[in-house]
Amino acid sequence: MTHRTRNLLPVFAFLAAAFLFFPLGTPAQTSSAQSSTSAHGERWLHVRVISTTSKGETVRVNVPLELAEKVLPAIDHDRLHNGKVRIGCMDCDGVDVRTIFEAVRSSKDGEFVTVQSNETDISVMKKEGMLFVHVHEKNKPKHSQVEVKVPMKVVEALLSGSKDELDITAGLRALASQGDVELVSVKDDENTVRVWLDSKNVTID
Amino acid sequence: MVLLAKIALGFGATVLLAGAYTFRQGLIRVDVDETRGEEHHVHVWAPAAIVPMAMHFVVPRGRMLDAEERSAKFMPLVHAVAKELQKYPEAELVEVHDGEQYVRVRTHDGNLLIDASEPGQTVHVSCPLATIDDVSRELAALAPAS
Repeated sequence: MTHRTRNLLPVFAFLAAAFLFFPLGTPAQTSSAQSSTSAHGERWLHVRVISTTSKGETVRVNVPLELAEKVLPAIDHDRLHNGKVRIGCMDCDGVDVRTIFEAVRSSKDGEFVTVQSNETDISVMKKEGMLFVHVHEKNKPKHSQVEVKVPMKVVEALLSGSKDELDITAGLRALASQGDVELVSVKDDENTVRVWLDSKNVTID
Repeated sequence: MVLLAKIALGFGATVLLAGAYTFRQGLIRVDVDETRGEEHHVHVWAPAAIVPMAMHFVVPRGRMLDAEERSAKFMPLVHAVAKELQKYPEAELVEVHDGEQYVRVRTHDGNLLIDASEPGQTVHVSCPLATIDDVSRELAALAPAS
């Protein structure tokens, strides 16, 4: 090693150390241009509420399903324990909800409930592995349209726990295996609510 | 003269390295501006790397145990959220507009950012997710073994 090289050793040491430490902070900066499509396989649950009232309230929530699945078991509050929520009225007024779901699951596609009145139309139907619930309230000014679409696999997973509880974690796991789907849509004169599932990490209206 | 230059270079390099090491985990930043009535401005910027060290060496053990006792119920949740959110370094999580009130929670560059504003008050908090995870683990470690 020459005398000149030896003199430059502190400089080399500093540069090496600088390269060792500084790059840790830089990759995130280069990726700061946010991509709307998440990494492969990530599933995101989105909730959007838009109110057309004078205050113009808007709520946007984006939750990675995997995060919800991992975090839920850590919550121990009120009726929610270990990712399962205790439902006291699973046997509501003598109606065994679990048995009804089981009957719906094992039956062929079709419309199970149809209610038509001057005020409200309600229909519950099963089609291609999905359970659809439509509620149309015709009474103005509270004119509203509710559409719920739940994959039967999710219903089964929710009911996979003990008799008086819903297994939310199992439901989320089942939901994650579904394709892009709009789960809930509520529209009335003042509010629009959407709950849907896709692979994007931002809400795109 | 050459010796002095070498000493200065060594000292400068050490300071730079120490600075780089201290700030590589990012900054904890809290900005509160209140312009309603009597004006208050609070701006705290601290390197995140010092938090675990401060918890070890600065905060008295009694206070740490007290903090652990008060937060024990929430720590598993905080730990789970911080750990999982690290997998999503760039994400918009919550955004709420309500008239002139606004709340936004997101992750950016591995930091959890919370922005809230209402007329006369704005709050911006930024904290590295790794630090939240570290703190929750430090506190959990203080819990008496069951």
